[in-house]
Amino acid sequence: MNRLYAFALVASLAACTGDVDEQWFLDHDRVIAVRASSPGIVTGETSTLDAFVGFKGAPPAVMNPPLAMVVRPESLASSLSMNGGQWTVSMPDEASLVAARTELALDAGAPVPLQVGIAFPATTFPARTSTDPIAAVKTVWLGEHRDNPEITGIDINGVDGATITDVTLDYTVDTPMRIDASVNDGDDVNWLTSCGTEHDFDLEHSYIRIEKDDPLMGDLAVVLRKPNGGVAWKTWTIHVDPATIPADANK
Amino acid sequence: MHLVRRVSFVLALATGAAYAQPGPEQPTPAPPAPAPKETPAPPETPVPQETPPAPQNVEPPAGEVIVVVGRVIDVLGKPVRGATVTLEGQTEPIGKTDRQGRFTVKAPMNATLVIESKAFGVGIATVTGRALDDTVLLTEKQLGETIEVKGEGPPPVAGAAKLDRQELQRVPGTGGDIVRALTIMPGVVNLQIPLGYSGVVIRGSSPQDSKVLVDDFEVPVLFHNIGFKAIVPSETIESLDFIPGGFDVAYGRATSGIVQLKTRKGSEKRSEQAEISVIDGGLLAQGPVGSKTRYMFALRRSTIDFVLPALIPDSVDLSLTTVPRYYDGQLRIDHEINSHWNAMFSTIATDDTFELVGSKDENADSKRFFNRTRFARFTGVLNYNKGPWNVKMALSALVPQFVFEIGLYQYIRVNYPSVTPRFEATRTEAEAGGLKNVEWRIGAESQTTRSNVQLALPTEQREGDPNPVFDPKDTSQTVNRKIWTPDFAAWTSTAADFDPRFRVTVGARAEYNARPDEFLFMPRGEVKFKITKPWSLRLSSGYYSRPPEFQSESLYTTAKSEKSEQTILGAQYEPREGARLQLSTYYNDRTQLLRNQIDPNGKVELVNVGRGKTVGAEVLGTYRGGPWFAWLSYSYSHSTRIDGPGEKERLFDFDQPHSMNAALSWKKGRWQLGGRFQLYSGLPNTPIVGSVYDSDRNIYIPINGATNSARAPIHHQLDLRVDYSWHWGPAQMTAFLDVQNVYMNESVVTYFYSYDYSQRSAFKSIPIIPSIGLRGVL
Repeated sequence: MNRLYAFALVASLAACTGDVDEQWFLDHDRVIAVRASSPGIVTGETSTLDAFVGFKGAPPAVMNPPLAMVVRPESLASSLSMNGGQWTVSMPDEASLVAARTELALDAGAPVPLQVGIAFPATTFPARTSTDPIAAVKTVWLGEHRDNPEITGIDINGVDGATITDVTLDYTVDTPMRIDASVNDGDDVNWLTSCGTEHDFDLEHSYIRIEKDDPLMGDLAVVLRKPNGGVAWKTWTIHVDPATIPADANK
Repeated sequence: MHLVRRVSFVLALATGAAYAQPGPEQPTPAPPAPAPKETPAPPETPVPQETPPAPQNVEPPAGEVIVVVGRVIDVLGKPVRGATVTLEGQTEPIGKTDRQGRFTVKAPMNATLVIESKAFGVGIATVTGRALDDTVLLTEKQLGETIEVKGEGPPPVAGAAKLDRQELQRVPGTGGDIVRALTIMPGVVNLQIPLGYSGVVIRGSSPQDSKVLVDDFEVPVLFHNIGFKAIVPSETIESLDFIPGGFDVAYGRATSGIVQLKTRKGSEKRSEQAEISVIDGGLLAQGPVGSKTRYMFALRRSTIDFVLPALIPDSVDLSLTTVPRYYDGQLRIDHEINSHWNAMFSTIATDDTFELVGSKDENADSKRFFNRTRFARFTGVLNYNKGPWNVKMALSALVPQFVFEIGLYQYIRVNYPSVTPRFEATRTEAEAGGLKNVEWRIGAESQTTRSNVQLALPTEQREGDPNPVFDPKDTSQTVNRKIWTPDFAAWTSTAADFDPRFRVTVGARAEYNARPDEFLFMPRGEVKFKITKPWSLRLSSGYYSRPPEFQSESLYTTAKSEKSEQTILGAQYEPREGARLQLSTYYNDRTQLLRNQIDPNGKVELVNVGRGKTVGAEVLGTYRGGPWFAWLSYSYSHSTRIDGPGEKERLFDFDQPHSMNAALSWKKGRWQLGGRFQLYSGLPNTPIVGSVYDSDRNIYIPINGATNSARAPIHHQLDLRVDYSWHWGPAQMTAFLDVQNVYMNESVVTYFYSYDYSQRSAFKSIPIIPSIGLRGVL
C-alpha cells in the first residue's frame, strides 16, 4: 500500500505542474455525461440516449451520439436501435432477460445492466488533433424503473441558479455556489467552468475565483449523478464584471 | 611466558583463527562478542604489491624441500623489513625480509619457520605450499593492548558489500540516510523515490522479494512517507550489510537479496549527542552502566511538520488536518553475564501519521486521505560462546499497525502482531575428517503472525499489471477477518577447506508454511577458490522462496510461495590493503510468481502462474585508505517476466539495465569533502493509448499499450557534501551541507496522465535538493 501512497503523493505533485487540463476545465474535448431517459426501464418502456459534450474553444452542447452499440451482455444486442435520430433501448422479453442473467451470473429477478457504448468521431470536435473517436459507456437497467434526478436548490453567489442563465463574477473574489445533493450519500457532483478556477469542483458546495491571466468569460455547468444511474446537468454563461477588473490587469 | 603469548597470538593472527572465524563466506548474524574487550573486525589480509609466482595446483609431498615465498607485516599491514627467517630447531637464519617485507627461502614442506624482528618480536609460519599467507608481527606494546584492526572483512557472498556508520554518513547525496545510501549498492535500482515498502529493488526483483533486517529480524517498513527518510537514523547503526543474492541458509522468506542493519552497541564512555536538520532532529545517549552493561538510546522526531504548512501556497486546495510527522525510537542494552554468556535487548519503534483533505473544507470527507503506520519490535538475544561452540538464542516480537483511509469508501486497517523465536548454533574445528577450518551450523526459527484485517479496496495491483482504473468507490476487495500465518524453518550447513585455496560450503534450509500448507526444501552451496594471491573466485547456487504473505497475498488461500534459483559467479581482486574490486555475474530464475487471475464472473484469485528471469553483471570497486573513501559501482541487469502460460515475455516493472555510482570522499582535520556521480537508466512504463469514459461511475478507463513498452530516459546527477567539525565548549560540533543534483539536471522519472488520459505530464527529477544539518556530541 505504500506504493499506492507514494504514487498518490507524486501524482498530486505532478498535478500541480499545471501542464494538463484539470477535470473541472470545461474548455476540453470530451463526453461529460451520457444520459439515458430513463436510466431504468420495465416492460413497455424505452430509454433514449443523449450526451452532454464539451468542446475546446466552444460552449458545451447536448448531442445525440452518432455511434452506439451494446457492449454487454451481447445476447441483448438487439435491444438497441436508432429511432427518429436517437438511439433507443427497448425492454427485451422475459426470456431474453433470463438468458442475460445467466450470462452475467445474476440472481433470478435481478435488474439486468445493459452496457451501451457510444462514440463521437474525432471530426465532431473541430479543435481535436487526434483522429481517435471519443468513446463512453452508459448502463441502462432492465427490469427496474429508474428516473433521472431533477436539479434543484442551486445557489450561485446568493442567487437561485434556476432563475438565471448568465452568471456574473467579481474579479479575484471567491464566488460560492451550491446544489441540493449529498456527496457523502453517494451523489456525484461536478462543477465545470471555462472561466476562472473552480475549487472543490466535486463537492456540493464549490466556488470559482478569477485570477490574473484567467479567461474573463466562458461557461459554467453542473452535473449531478445519482447512485441509481440517473444524471442531470445545467449550464450558464459566465463572465467577469468589468467594473471589478483593475486597470493593471492583463486582460 | 611473554614469548609464548606473543607467538601464539601472532600465529592466531596469521592464520585468522583469532578473529576471522573459519568460513566467513556465509554471513553469521550478529556474532557474539567472545571477550569483554571490543571485538575487532576481521583482519584484512594484506597482499604483496606484486603477484608472487603462481603456485602449482599439486602440493609437494611432506618433507620435500621447496622454494617458499612469504611476506611479513605489522598489524597495520605495513611490511616488516629485516626480519629473519629460521627453520624451527635451527639457529642460522635461512632468509631475511626485504623492503616489501617479502622473503624467499628453501624449506621442507610442513616445516615451521620462525620469523623474528628486533622491533616486533617473533612469529611462526608453517610451510603449507610455495606461497605462504602473510605473517603478522606485533610489538611488545601491542601485545598488551586492545588492537582495533581496521579493515574490510571478506564479503559473505560474491557481490556483497558493507558500509559502516561513518561511511554511511560520508556518502554524498544521501544526507546520511540509510535508504538513500542503499542506492549506491550495485544491483540496487536507483530512483529518486524509494520503491516498495523497503525502498529497495535488488537484481530485478520486486521490493517484497528482498528483506530488510534489523538485528536479524524483519521490519515492516524502512522509510517514512514524508521525505522518504529511513526509520532508523544512521547514528544508531553499526553497519549495513548488503547481500544482493546467494545468501546462506540462515536467511529465508526472500527470493532476491538481504539488507542487514546492525544496531550500535553503547560505547565504553558515556556520551550524548543531538542532531537537527530541516527534516528532523534527534537525540542519542549511550554509555556504560557498571562494568558489564552498556546502553544506547535514541529518539528522533520530524521537524518538517513545523515548517510544511508555511510552505504550501494559499491557493492550493489543501487542509493538512494532521501535518505529516514521525517519531522514531531505538533502545539497545548489552549485558555481559559471564565470560561465556552475554545478553542483548533491543527495541526499534516508529510512528508515522498524516492526514490531509484536498479542500479548504476540512469536513470534505470524500477528499480525505489518512495514513498511520507504526510498529515496535522488541528483541532479546542470548549468546553463548565457549571453545568451538557459539550459540545464539533470540526471541523477537513485532507489534505493527497500518491504517490507510482514502475518501468515503476505501480503507485498510490492519494489526498483525507476530512472534519469532530463533536459535542458531555454530561449531568450528581447526581440523575434522581430514578437512580444515570446518564450520558446522544448525538453526531453526518460527514466525507466527495473527493478522486482524479490515479492508475495502480495489483488488491490489501486482507487478506488471496494467495502469489501474482510479475509482474512489471501488471496494471490490472487502475483508473483515483474522488470519493466522504460522511459518517454520530449520537449516544446517557445513563449510570446510578442502585445500588452502579451496573452500566449500553446502547447506539446506527447510520450511513449512502452514497457511498454504507447503513444505519447501532449499539446498544452497558455494565454492571459493583462491586462484593466486590477490585473486579469488566464488561460485554459489541455491534455491530460495518467499511465502505469500505480502500485503493482500495472505487473503488468498490459493497462493503458494514464489520461488527462485540463483546462480552467482564472482571474482575478487585485492591489489593492496583497503582496495578491493569485485566482479559478479548472476542468473536468477524465478518460478511460481503470483498473478491475479480473474474468472468469467469477475472473481479474482491469486495463482502461481508467472515466471521470470534476471541476468546481470556487477562491478564494485572500493578503496578505504588514509583520508580517502572511494566507491565505484556499475550494474547491468536485464529482468523479464512471463505472466502465464502462453503469454509473451515482457520487461519487469523496475528493469534498470544500467546503473553507475562513483563516490569519493576526503577527510582531513576539520573538513570532510565528498562528491558522487550517478547515472542510471529510466524505468519502463506502459503507455496509455486511449480511454473510455464510464459515464455512470464518472471515471475514465485507460486503454493500455504493450506492458512496459516505453522507458523513461537516462538520468545523471552530481551530488556534493561538505562537513566541518569544531569544538564548542565541551561539545564536538559537526555541520554538514549535502546537495543533490548540483548541476540541476532535470530528467523524466515517469509520466502522469490527465483525468481522461488525453494528456500526460512528465514527472521530472527534482532539480536540486540541499540538505543542511548540525550535530553536537557531548
